Amino acid sequence: MKNFISVSPLKILDKSSRKELGPGNLGVLIARAGVGKTACLIHIALDRIFRQGKIVHVSLEEGPEKVMSYYNVIYSDLVKALNIEDSNDENRMIIDRSRMILAYLHQSFDLDRLRLNLNNLQEKLDFKPDALILDGLDFETTETSVFEGLKQISQQFGFELWLSALSHRHISDANERGVVYPVNKIDYLFSIIIQVQAESSGVFLRLLKDHDNAIISDTSVRLDPNTFLSLV
Amino acid sequence: MIDEIKKLRNIGISAHIDSGKTTLTERILYYTRRIFAIHEVRGKDGVGAKMDSMELEKERGITIASAATHCEWQGHRINIIDTPGHVDFTIEVERALRVMDGAVLILCSVGGVQSQSITVDRQMNRYKVPRIAFINKCDRAGADPYKVVQQLRQKLNHNAVLMQIPIGLEGKLSGVVDLISMVAIYFEGPNGDEVKSGPVPPDLIEEAKKKREEMLDNLSMFSDELTEAILEETINEAIIRKVIREETISRKITPVFLGSAYKNIGVQTLLDGINSYLPAPVEVKNIALDMNNNEKEICLESNPEMPVVALAFKLEVTPYGQLTYIRIYQGTIRKGNDLVITRTRKKIKVGRLVRMHADEMEEVVSANAGDIVALFGVECYSGDTFTDGSLICSMSSMFIPEPVISLSLTPKDIKAQNNMSKALDRFTREDPTFRSYVDQESGETIISGMGELHLDVYVERMKREFNAQVETGAPQVAYREAITIKSAFDYTHKKQTGGAGQFGRVMGFMEPSEKGIYEFINQVKGGTIPTEYIPAVDKGFQSCLKKGWMLEFPVLGMKITVEDGKSHSVDSSEMAFTQAAIGAFKQAYMKAKPVILEPVMKVCVEVPSEFQGNVMSSINQRRGLIISSAEDGVFTTIEAEVPLSEMFGYATVLRSITQGKAEFTMEFTKYSRLPESLADELKTRMKESAKGGIRQ
Repeated sequence: MKNFISVSPLKILDKSSRKELGPGNLGVLIARAGVGKTACLIHIALDRIFRQGKIVHVSLEEGPEKVMSYYNVIYSDLVKALNIEDSNDENRMIIDRSRMILAYLHQSFDLDRLRLNLNNLQEKLDFKPDALILDGLDFETTETSVFEGLKQISQQFGFELWLSALSHRHISDANERGVVYPVNKIDYLFSIIIQVQAESSGVFLRLLKDHDNAIISDTSVRLDPNTFLSLV
Repeated sequence: MIDEIKKLRNIGISAHIDSGKTTLTERILYYTRRIFAIHEVRGKDGVGAKMDSMELEKERGITIASAATHCEWQGHRINIIDTPGHVDFTIEVERALRVMDGAVLILCSVGGVQSQSITVDRQMNRYKVPRIAFINKCDRAGADPYKVVQQLRQKLNHNAVLMQIPIGLEGKLSGVVDLISMVAIYFEGPNGDEVKSGPVPPDLIEEAKKKREEMLDNLSMFSDELTEAILEETINEAIIRKVIREETISRKITPVFLGSAYKNIGVQTLLDGINSYLPAPVEVKNIALDMNNNEKEICLESNPEMPVVALAFKLEVTPYGQLTYIRIYQGTIRKGNDLVITRTRKKIKVGRLVRMHADEMEEVVSANAGDIVALFGVECYSGDTFTDGSLICSMSSMFIPEPVISLSLTPKDIKAQNNMSKALDRFTREDPTFRSYVDQESGETIISGMGELHLDVYVERMKREFNAQVETGAPQVAYREAITIKSAFDYTHKKQTGGAGQFGRVMGFMEPSEKGIYEFINQVKGGTIPTEYIPAVDKGFQSCLKKGWMLEFPVLGMKITVEDGKSHSVDSSEMAFTQAAIGAFKQAYMKAKPVILEPVMKVCVEVPSEFQGNVMSSINQRRGLIISSAEDGVFTTIEAEVPLSEMFGYATVLRSITQGKAEFTMEFTKYSRLPESLADELKTRMKESAKGGIRQ
């Protein structure tokens, strides 16, 4: 799946100082409702999987079946868009074997539970993820201590952790570093912050924070609004 | 007519063993005047052998065990559907849950929510059945209904809302306080027939007010109207009841009633609750599949004027013939009407239409949408859908998966053999995924189905219900073969010695089919194989698929392309070309690198979260691939794909690693390649079996 990696939305990190988020760090995608946060997160997951990594996908809103069907739809679109042959469903098998879905329904999510589940994966299944995708965390109501806890977990287990944050049209708050609401007050916890914006010519990814690098290259990556693949 | 349907309730009564299901059902039948005397479960000395409910029912001649019994309460008609007590998931359980619109969950005020309650409740969740709870046995020593309410919330994740509080507890239980009307209700007379109300006892006023507050607080979360009424102090019973009804039906709350069926306390108020809060058929969404439109979903309406759609959900064999219980979802069925069975498109005439009561059968002339009745003498299978012919639809998908496991049966004697035959005939009618046949080579009766548990349930039923004592062989997995690469063939079948000659030549190739099915492509040009012989070639190849040349397992997913061939004007025949195809298959098959495929099951384990790790380990040890783990309240649902051969005995293992608190279901999902080392083991085993003359 080299051809996917070359057009994955994570290409934006080629422009970052370390070219990756890196283990023990938090990354976040900020976007308004309906722009495609979940799709972008799944692309990040697929990018890791096709680089022979393992991922844990944590969903706080949808059950595993829905998450799985998101992956299936996005993968099918990829196969079509990149004209890949997958007659024996080998890539699908790779996805199934490299991905673990953890869903926490009806407010069942807490850090202790996540830690316990990750321990179980490691000890009982020898499943050591390289990345954790956390979709559906409400940044507006979640306390800072939870983000701090997530950072600790990512360090403890040695994976990178990607989240998505919902921004609003009517809230234009941003801090002096240009990081927008709702991440503006906790941006120090994140190593990579990416804003996802829908515009008439496509979906744009813009790097708002690049590790400790004070100067961020003012470049963006344009994605196909249907496939979320980068338009080179 | 619609008003009548609005006053109909189809309910199940679910309970774990010994929580008082039989006593409560009997009291319901007594108060609704279906039976005229009350019997006790235990002997007069109180220590008599405790009978299980089935034995009791049989002894009494009460047909509570029949699929549905009908009674009436305060102008409402109630069909009580038998909720199977066993938790093993079979198609019958599925159907029973499907036909009920609501359920009463009985809990023991001493024992509380036990693991079996959890299992039954989760099955009902799966089928989105709205429930009300009845905390029974409040007269028992150690009764603590408030603790049970807490357990309902924590263990079952129900938003349990108390409708009543008890007046006294244990030996002092004398009635209940209704928190909506704030009156005390007593049940007087020798059998509690006389329901009397009075003021709340002074020592309970504070507690009743507090619990009412809690109830209103909880309900106000769902209704602005109620919140406003509380704030403006204009609250009345009608608003409260309306919110309770709406939120029970949408499964946001579970109203909780209290009492003691044995002491005749609280049963009538529970019946009021069934009428008030559980849905009528018109309030439940029912879906059918349109068979003329690619199984597209259509929403059925509980309207007696619309075309008939009914589901046969249970068969009972009576001395007078087969009794078929049906739930009518749409339209009206009248005696003498013609109905069409969707599966066979066969027309049947409605002869006797009956409604089952506790201990009698009532002949009826017609029955409407929403109702549950029984048909006499209709030849059909359980799960069949009936329509009036104007609409061809099915209440369940017509797709019937192929069995993945089989078991040999040996009856102990002639009597057992006869009983076994009767049982097998019955079971195959009930469940299309259950098959039986006699193996021609070994002469053994083989049953096959969708899993070990599936077959275990039927073997157990065979013994219990049909008195068929049988011994079972070891379960056998239904392996398959499939080729992995393209392989060419060029084979000539020639026999020209004595008699009529035979000649046919076929050329082409075989390859794995992307669609996973058998495909036959004819690319012969110029008539080198005459058109009339092409079907014979196809037939020859198909005949080879029944037994692969590797280990004699059926072959899956092969595409045959015939490109060329040769015929003889005199000696060629259909038979010659069929033989040529068989020869071609033999020639190319092993070159196409066949592999063994094994059935893989989708396994779903529901378990209290503290056992997540244990369950994951157990699946991992079985070559399983865990797909997901979902936390919901205190439960975790783990989904995995596991080879069927590794799942034998898993129920026992799961019980031991989870203290019996887990439940699992499994269904066939796909065939996957058996790992090389295991395939070699299997080959060795099969060779040894063949040497020993035992067929695998």
